[in-house]
Amino acid sequence: METSVIKQMKGRDRVLAALRGEPVDRTPVCNPTSVATVELMDLVDAPFPDANRDPELMARLAATGYTELGFDTIMPVFTIIQESSALGCDIQWEQKDNWPTVRMNNPIWEDVDDIKIPSDFLTHRDTKCVLDAISRLKKEYGDEVAIIGKTMGPWSLGYHCFGVEPFLLTSLDDPGRTHLALDRMKEITVEFGRAQIEAGADALTLPDHATGDLVSGEYYRRFLRDLHIEMVERIPIPLIMHICGRTVDRMGYIAETGFAAFHFDSKNTPMESMEAVDGQISLVGNINNPETLFARGPDEVGHEVCQNLDHGIHMVGPECAVPLQASIENLKAIPDAVKDWHRSHAHDHGTG
Amino acid sequence: MGQTTDIGRRIELVPLDPHFGDVSIGLYRQQDDECPVYRVHTYSRLSGAEDRIGFIVRAMEVLGGMEQNPDGRLQFPCGWDHNLAVKRVFLEACKLDPSGPVEPRPLEILDKKSGLQIKVLSEGDGVYRVTAHGEGKDPERRISFIAGGLMKLAEIDAVDGTLDRVVFPCGYAHDALIGLLLVRAPNVRAVLREQEMAASRGVLAAPSQQDR
Repeated sequence: METSVIKQMKGRDRVLAALRGEPVDRTPVCNPTSVATVELMDLVDAPFPDANRDPELMARLAATGYTELGFDTIMPVFTIIQESSALGCDIQWEQKDNWPTVRMNNPIWEDVDDIKIPSDFLTHRDTKCVLDAISRLKKEYGDEVAIIGKTMGPWSLGYHCFGVEPFLLTSLDDPGRTHLALDRMKEITVEFGRAQIEAGADALTLPDHATGDLVSGEYYRRFLRDLHIEMVERIPIPLIMHICGRTVDRMGYIAETGFAAFHFDSKNTPMESMEAVDGQISLVGNINNPETLFARGPDEVGHEVCQNLDHGIHMVGPECAVPLQASIENLKAIPDAVKDWHRSHAHDHGTG
Repeated sequence: MGQTTDIGRRIELVPLDPHFGDVSIGLYRQQDDECPVYRVHTYSRLSGAEDRIGFIVRAMEVLGGMEQNPDGRLQFPCGWDHNLAVKRVFLEACKLDPSGPVEPRPLEILDKKSGLQIKVLSEGDGVYRVTAHGEGKDPERRISFIAGGLMKLAEIDAVDGTLDRVVFPCGYAHDALIGLLLVRAPNVRAVLREQEMAASRGVLAAPSQQDR
């Protein structure tokens, strides 16, 4: 990435430029998913689960990603269940120290014909909370940093609403019905995404959990690639695709969709990931969560940051939602290491 | 703009304090001029948070035989870090009911598994010997197991050629620490399981990997 002759940029401009594949003054530090931790919740008195359901608390907690950690983005959609809650899924909201989850053993849909978007989908407490939080953040920080929203893709919604096993079995037994289900559920993704744009989002993360442990790269091509191309056409801001786990076998297909970036997991090395996307798409990631950010220290975090920068990764950040017990010092080490790396490389190249 | 400052390396966290408003409380390690020192801290600004931290610090003094500096930070009298042991002291101090008394634990317990009375004797220079008394099953095995538990819980060394003696590498006596650890040593596997479960909480899994 070209960085050496660019004037100092604001975080927002830096992120949006990187998403467009344009030159930046330094590599942006991004969190396409949550950086909320229990300590940050205490700092601003915005604990889970309330911070997922109250827009003021959601915005206050999300802002700490910028005000305390120094990231170039603010991402208020901590969970992956906001729209599933609005669709009627049974949610286990948990306590402050754990993630809300959908009770997938109690699915709300059995058949494609059950798929319906409730008329109050965008005014439901748990989707409206996201829209209101984005709106607040846009007003307060929108000039400084990029506000990133999140809209779940149809594959993830299929897991939540049909249950993981029934959804996957249908894709084997009756692929046509799965295509039809995805086609109907994609409207949820588009509707929620567009509403977040209206609220002020600069970019959207689009998680669609066709993960390597359950689904092959070929499956991604067959069921999701064209659908994701359609998402890019219908949602008119930069989209960041997110899939956890080992995904290098589908990165080439993802790069063909027109997504602005792919948020990738540390199970994929920076080098092989850069080769797989072959310059067609930006990459954001991939600092390891459970081992590095949770269990190790700032030095190890800095080492991983440098590995990513050495291989030309376009935006650096945690690989996925950070563990709620991750330490503030480890998260702060990400922007610190990015700045140090750029300082040392500016000296190497004599540009000061 | 930021409100957080460098308070050292966090080495342990209680994410949800049941005794005070479900706040998170961390144990941070700092390096003083002479030795490692520990700071107990919460980011919560709830009224009473400072008192809660004060209680935990005092409890760590009593339960772990630690000393408090004028600035409220803690250290071991020997000047060593005892990194694993201090985490255990912190966790046990956080569990204590603040309305009850804080007293050092005795160097003697009833081992429920064997029915034996287990006593630990200080032999000087940081060496402790585990002994068993009374009617009970398999005393030698239990002594060895409990000595092993002490070693696992606090990174204490075995005394070469013995199965019943352990030694702190600093060479100092730590009676309070041994009393604290002795309660957990007979069931060290449960302690390790509890630690693993606590560590896995709050890690987001993809929908495909969640319990369904």
